[in-house]
Parts: sequence; structure tokens; C-alpha cells
Amino acid sequence: MQDIAGVLVNSVISAALYATMAYGLAVIYGVMRIINLAHAGLMMLGAYATFSLFTRFGLDPFLSLLVVGPLFFLFGVVLYRLVVRRLPRSGATPSMESLLLLFGVWLVLQNFAYFIWTGDTQSILTAYTMKSVAVLGVRVGVPSLFVFAGSVLSLVFLNVVLKTTYLGKAIRAVTQNRDAALLAGVDADSISAVAFGLGTAFAGVAGGMLSTLYAFTPDFGRSFLLKAFCIIVLGGMESVTGVAAGALVLAFLENGLSAWTTLPTSFQDAVSFTLLFVTLVAFPQGLPGLFARLRTAFR
Amino acid sequence: MRLLTVESLDVFYGDVQAVRNVSFTVDEGEVVTLIGANGAGKSTTLRALAGLLVPRAGRVVFDGQELAGRPANELASRGIVLVPEGRQLWPAMTVLENLRMGAYPKHARARADAILGEIFAMFPILERRVSQKAGTLSGGEQQMCAIGRGLMAQPRLLLLDEPALGLSPLLVREVFASLRAIRARGVTIVLVEQNVPHALALADRAYVLETGRVTLTGTASELLVDSRVRDGYLGYGSV
Repeated sequence: MQDIAGVLVNSVISAALYATMAYGLAVIYGVMRIINLAHAGLMMLGAYATFSLFTRFGLDPFLSLLVVGPLFFLFGVVLYRLVVRRLPRSGATPSMESLLLLFGVWLVLQNFAYFIWTGDTQSILTAYTMKSVAVLGVRVGVPSLFVFAGSVLSLVFLNVVLKTTYLGKAIRAVTQNRDAALLAGVDADSISAVAFGLGTAFAGVAGGMLSTLYAFTPDFGRSFLLKAFCIIVLGGMESVTGVAAGALVLAFLENGLSAWTTLPTSFQDAVSFTLLFVTLVAFPQGLPGLFARLRTAFR
Repeated sequence: MRLLTVESLDVFYGDVQAVRNVSFTVDEGEVVTLIGANGAGKSTTLRALAGLLVPRAGRVVFDGQELAGRPANELASRGIVLVPEGRQLWPAMTVLENLRMGAYPKHARARADAILGEIFAMFPILERRVSQKAGTLSGGEQQMCAIGRGLMAQPRLLLLDEPALGLSPLLVREVFASLRAIRARGVTIVLVEQNVPHALALADRAYVLETGRVTLTGTASELLVDSRVRDGYLGYGSV
């Protein structure tokens, strides 16, 4: 039995990681109206990249994020240029072609990982993997704290880019009104490449961080993709606060249910799926829609 | 000096031809208006000139260069700037961000601050709204923001698609006053506008479009007294 402080601290820590995963999807969806089903495979690849840097070169998994991030950005740009840009452009909703193509990319990545790293379960054990410290009176694993810090830094980085650079503003402009962005001189194709690179980098970094918390196989990432979907359905794709709120709701439910009920750990993934289902049925506009409706209800 | 020559332009939406064999010219510093009923092909012509639609046939020569079919972002960088129908602002970006993004083309960035000052002088309300999200502006403010965004690109040719659509008579007058100010600064303008009296009062010359074709052309003052224009487009009220 855990107290409320424990659940809250753990929720905030998970939420930061979840938001990082969800952002990778949201940036790509925003610019291209494509749901990147390969996100799970890219997270898995990020975990293995971190693993290889750790075992081959002894690079600390959190320091290796500084390598994995840029490397995955480039990989995303190449993936876009070679494959994704050939898709017919999605309208308001993602095209079937884009879903199939990126699902195919996921399968290719998976089999690539089986080929290179075999199907054996791997994990990263550092000197601090088993250590923990007290945060607000709650014992928290040191890797979890580093994951929290890494997530927050990634999110701050993304927001600074989106808010202050011409490139970032161009990404937001294409997201909010593509034609208007073209008319302002934005090359939507280059921006799509950058957005796909950013989304891929976020998947890689999220995967690298996950590898310090969980054991993984080439099949890794599936349940986290589902969590990212759930967050996006809850919080919407467009707003920073929406994604953060969605991530918090999911993380709180997961942590709360495992702390205060006898729900077996193996059922944890059912939380995000149930939440996704309930959200889609009960308030398909997600949290922003729910808040909007509540506002009008109390007027 | 001739700035724009459009020759035998054909534009399709899928299989439907919206613009047929349209030709017209615009000189540097001139204001030319395209008038016509809904669906006459005015907006389609502008969208093709701005690169949002690819013409199936015809030539677009801008400043001596053949530019038909080039992508919109390239045309914007060359100075052809469309202020689209319905404003098309970025709703979740602030007014200031919308305006600043207007200066996205590299050549426009250096003078962005100076132009921004001129836009605030022209539309003082925008300066009071700088940190407000564009989606929360009133229709008139949105139109001013859209025009301001277009000016931030320092256009050589400003294409305006229905800038007065959906605005109250008072705001229509305000928007046209600002267009006169823009014209006074020597910006070349092609204006598409349902409000024909206002459009003709502003323009030097006009082309009348009917079902995708140019059916009549002349100076604005000639067309203001032309019986066909009076019957067709000036029926309701006057300036």
C-alpha cells in the first residue's frame, strides 16, 4: 500500500516520459497528418542503440542520449526522404497508405533488430540501476529520476525550438494552417523532413530512457505506443498543456490503480487501453473538448 | 513597367474547369481588380497565381520570368504574396507570431522590425492585441492581421482575395482605407472583391470574369459607368 505522495511523485515521473513519447507522434501528426506506427519500432531501436553504446563503448545510457538524439534525427530525415515523402498527401485524416507503410517500417525495424541483436531479452545494468533516493519522502529509483530529468530537458528543448526559431514557428505554422504556411514562403516538404526527424529523435530518446527502466526485446515498444495514442486522444495533438495533461491523467491512473487496488501488474497495459476506449466513446474530443463542454455547462 | 502578364490561363479543380483562357496584365504600382459573380473563377485565378493551384495551361510571367506551376513557397519568396480568403491565420499563434512569420522569406527578415512598426501605425488595434492568440480576434481584426502578415513579406505583388468578406460596413470602409494606404506606398495589388463599388473606387483597372472567362475590361472609371457592370454588379447600393 502506497500513500498519495508516492503515487503523485511516481505519476509525475512517468508522465514526463510519456509526454516525451507522445510528443514524437504529435509533431509528425501535426505537420503531415500521419500517424507514425513505426514509433514503437523506433523506440525499440533507441533502446538497442543505447544498449550497444553502453556495452561496446561503455557510454552511460543517459549520456548516450546526446548521441542517440541527433543520430535518430538524421535517421528520421533519411526515412522521410526515402520513404515517407512518397506517400500521397493525407487530407484531414491519415491515409490508409500512410498507416500501412509505417506499419511496414515497424516490421522491418523489428526484423532488423532480431538480425543484429537476436531475440534475447536485454537490459542495461549500471552502477546506479538499483540505487534509490528519497524525493518528498518517497523512495525513487535513480534511473527514474534521470529519466524524469531527461524527459523534462527534451520537452523544454522542443518547446524552445518551436517557440523561438523560424524553423520551429514554421513547424507550428504548417501544423495550424498548411496553405497559409506555404503562402508565407515555408517549404512544407523540408519542414516535413525536419518534423519527421524530430519525431524520430524523440522516439529514439524515449526508447533510450526506457532501456534504463525495462528489459527489452525487438518486440519492445508496443505497449508504449498504445500509451502515446491514449495520451494524444486525451490531450489532443496541438497543445503542449494538452499532451502534458493527458500524460498526467494516464500516469496517475496507472500508478494509482497499481498502488490502491489488487490489480495485477500484468494488467497495467489494460489501463491505457481502457482509458483510450472510454475516452473515444464518452468524450471523443478528449480533455480539451471535455473542458469546453464543462465550461458551457456551468455558464 | 509591366510586372505581371497572365496569358491564356486554364485552371481545373479535378475535372472541373474553373478558369478558361484568362489573360490580363498588371503594371508596377497599379491596382487591378477582378470582379464577377460567385464561381466566376476570380479566387481560383488568384490561387493559381500564388501557386496553391497548378494551372493546366497558360503562362504567368512575373518580372520577366515564367513562373506558372511553381510552388507557393517559392513564389512567396519571389514577392508574390496572397492574402487568402477567410484570413487563414494560424489560430494558436499570437498576433505578433502571425505577423513575424509573414517575414519568413529570407529577403524580408532584415527589414521586419521597420515594417512591423508601419503595420502597427496602419492598424493600431493590432499593437494592442500582439500577445493575443489570432484565433480569438474578431473578424475585422483577423483581416487586419492577415493583411499585415502579407505586408511583412514585403510583397512586390500583393494578391488580396475578398478582404472585406463578412465584415460590417464600417469595417469594410476601414479595410479599404488601409488598402488605399498600401497602394499609396507603391505596392502593386490584384484585388478580388465582391464589393464592386469599393473595389472599382480603389482600382486603376478592372477585369470582369464570367464563368471562368474575361468578358469585359477597362479602366475602373470606365467600368463604373458601364451599363453591363451597373446592371450586373452595382445593382445593390453604391459607394
